[in-house]
Amino acid sequence: MSILQVQDLKKTYGKIQALKGVSFEIPQGAVFGILGPNGSGKTTMLSIILDVLNADSGTYSWFGEPASPDLRKRIGSLLETPNFYHYLSGVNNLKITNSISGRGDAVAINEVLQKVKLYERRNSKFSSYSLGMKQRLAIAAALLGDPQILVLDEPTNGLDPVGIMEIRELIIELSKKGHTIIMASHLLDEVEKVCTHVAILKLGTLVTSGSVEDVLVDEDIVEGSAADLQQLKAVLSNMPGNTGITVTDLTVQVHFPKGTAKPEEVNRYCFNNGITLQQLAIKKKRLEEKFFELTNN
Amino acid sequence: MLNLFRTEWLKLKNYPGFWWIMGITVLSYPGINGMFYFIYKENTANTKTAAQMLKMLLGNPFEFPEVFRTTAFASSLFVVIPAILVIMLITNEYTYKTNRQNVIDGWSRNQFLMAKFLNVVIISLIVIALYIIVTLSIGFSTTGADVKDKFKLAHYTALFSLQAFAQLSFAFLLGLLIKRAFIALGVFIFYKIIVENIGAQLLNKYVLADTGRFLPTESSDLLTPVPAFLGRLDPKVYDHALSLINQQVFITIGYLLIFWGLIFWIYKKRDL
Repeated sequence: MSILQVQDLKKTYGKIQALKGVSFEIPQGAVFGILGPNGSGKTTMLSIILDVLNADSGTYSWFGEPASPDLRKRIGSLLETPNFYHYLSGVNNLKITNSISGRGDAVAINEVLQKVKLYERRNSKFSSYSLGMKQRLAIAAALLGDPQILVLDEPTNGLDPVGIMEIRELIIELSKKGHTIIMASHLLDEVEKVCTHVAILKLGTLVTSGSVEDVLVDEDIVEGSAADLQQLKAVLSNMPGNTGITVTDLTVQVHFPKGTAKPEEVNRYCFNNGITLQQLAIKKKRLEEKFFELTNN
Repeated sequence: MLNLFRTEWLKLKNYPGFWWIMGITVLSYPGINGMFYFIYKENTANTKTAAQMLKMLLGNPFEFPEVFRTTAFASSLFVVIPAILVIMLITNEYTYKTNRQNVIDGWSRNQFLMAKFLNVVIISLIVIALYIIVTLSIGFSTTGADVKDKFKLAHYTALFSLQAFAQLSFAFLLGLLIKRAFIALGVFIFYKIIVENIGAQLLNKYVLADTGRFLPTESSDLLTPVPAFLGRLDPKVYDHALSLINQQVFITIGYLLIFWGLIFWIYKKRDL
C-alpha cells in the first residue's frame, strides 16, 4: 500500500519553475530519502504535501485518500526550520502541537522531551535554546503521539555529530517499528545509511526514484588488483561481456551490465591469461557518487 | 470551536507582551474617559460666572443619557491600542512562522483564521465591556435620581461595538497583508488618522458631497459622533451626522463582510 502518492506536481514562483511535474509513490514502512542540490524543489514539494504551499497543478493523496487536515494530524512533520512561539517554553510549545494535532498527551510530551534530551530544559523559553536544541524540539514535536508517518526536512540541521548519530539511530529504530519516514537531506552518507528508498530531484525534475538498491545499482562493477595494473587492464579489456574499464591508483574496475557480473569468472579469466589477482570484489556505487552522476555536480 | 479557543489560550496565557498591551488597553479606556470627565468637572465645579456659563454651554455630557454618546466618542479615539493587540496576534504568527506550523500540525487554513477571528471578537468584547463599565460608572456617579430616560441613548453601546469590531477587523486585515507588526501598525495609524481624514474631505469637496463617509474606517467612525455640546457649534451639520448613523450601520456591516471575506480569500490563495 502507498502511504503517499504524488502525481504530476507543478509549482512556479514568478518565472522560476520550482517543480516541473513530479510524480512518485512512497510505500508503507519505507524510509524515503528525497535528495537534490539546493533549489532542486525538495522543500517546495514537502511544503505542498503538507498544504503550506498551493501547487499550480497536480495532485497528491495520503493513505489513498485526498489530502485533508484530519489526515495531516496523523503525520509528524518538521519542515525547513523549527517553528515555535519564541516566548513559550519547550513544553508549552508542545502543548500547542498536542492541542492542534490531537497527538499525544501530557505524559507523551514528557516522553518525547526525554527522547530528544530536552527534558531538563523543558521549562526554558524557546528563544533561549541553541540551534541544536531548537532542532531537537522540532523533532520532539514531530514524534509526539508516535505518528506512523514522519516528514523530516533536513532533520540533522544544527545538530552536533552525536546528535546526528542519535537521529540516525532513532530513524532506524522507528523504521524497524514499521513507521514510514520521508526525509529530505543534504547528508548523502546519512541517507545511504538509513533510507530504503530515494528520489533525486534536480531543478524541479525527478531524476530517479525507487529502492536504494535499484537506484544505486544500474551496472555491476568488479574491482581487482594485481602486481601489474597495466597488464591487468589490458587483459580485462578483452574479457567478453564487459562494458568498460576504469583504472584507479590501486585497482582496475571492470563494468558489466546489471546482474551479469560473476567474480569467479573474472578470477578464472585473469588466471588463464597469466595474471594472479591480489584482490577481487564486487563494488557497490556509493550514493554520493550516483548523486553527482545524476545531478551533474 | 472549543479546540480553537483552547489552542489560542495556550498561545496567549504565557505571553507577557499580550498581557502588557491588554493591561494598557484596560487602563486606557477608563483613563481617557476619566481624564475628560475630571477636566470637565474641574472647569465647571466652581461658582464663578465663567465656569457656570461653560456648564450651561456644555450641558452635562457625563450624565445619563448623554454619557453613552460622550464615552463612545472618547473611547473610539483609542481604538489604536487594542489594534496593537490584534495586529500583534497575526503578525507574530508570521514572524515565528507558526501560522504554517499550525497548518502542518493539522489545522485547515480556515480553522487558523477562525481562531484569529475569535481573538478579534474577544478583544472587541473586552473593549465593549470596558466601554459599558466606564459609561455606567460615570453615568451613575454623575446623574441625579430625577433624570428620566437614563438609557435613551443606550443604543450607542451597539454602535460603539460595531465600530470597534469593524476597525479591529480592518487592523487584522492590514496585519495579515503586511505581516510585520510595526509596519502594519504604522500603516493603520497613518491610514486611519491622516489618509482617511484628508481623503474624506477631498472626496466631499472635489468629487461628491458626502462620499467620504463610504471610506473603510470613516464609515464606522461616523457611528459615534461627537458629544452633543460640540454639535452646538454647527447644529445643521450635527443633525445631518446623526441622521446618517442608520446608513453608516449598513455601510459598516458591508465593510465587515468585505474585510473578512478578503481575509479568508487571501489566506486560502496565499502560500504560507
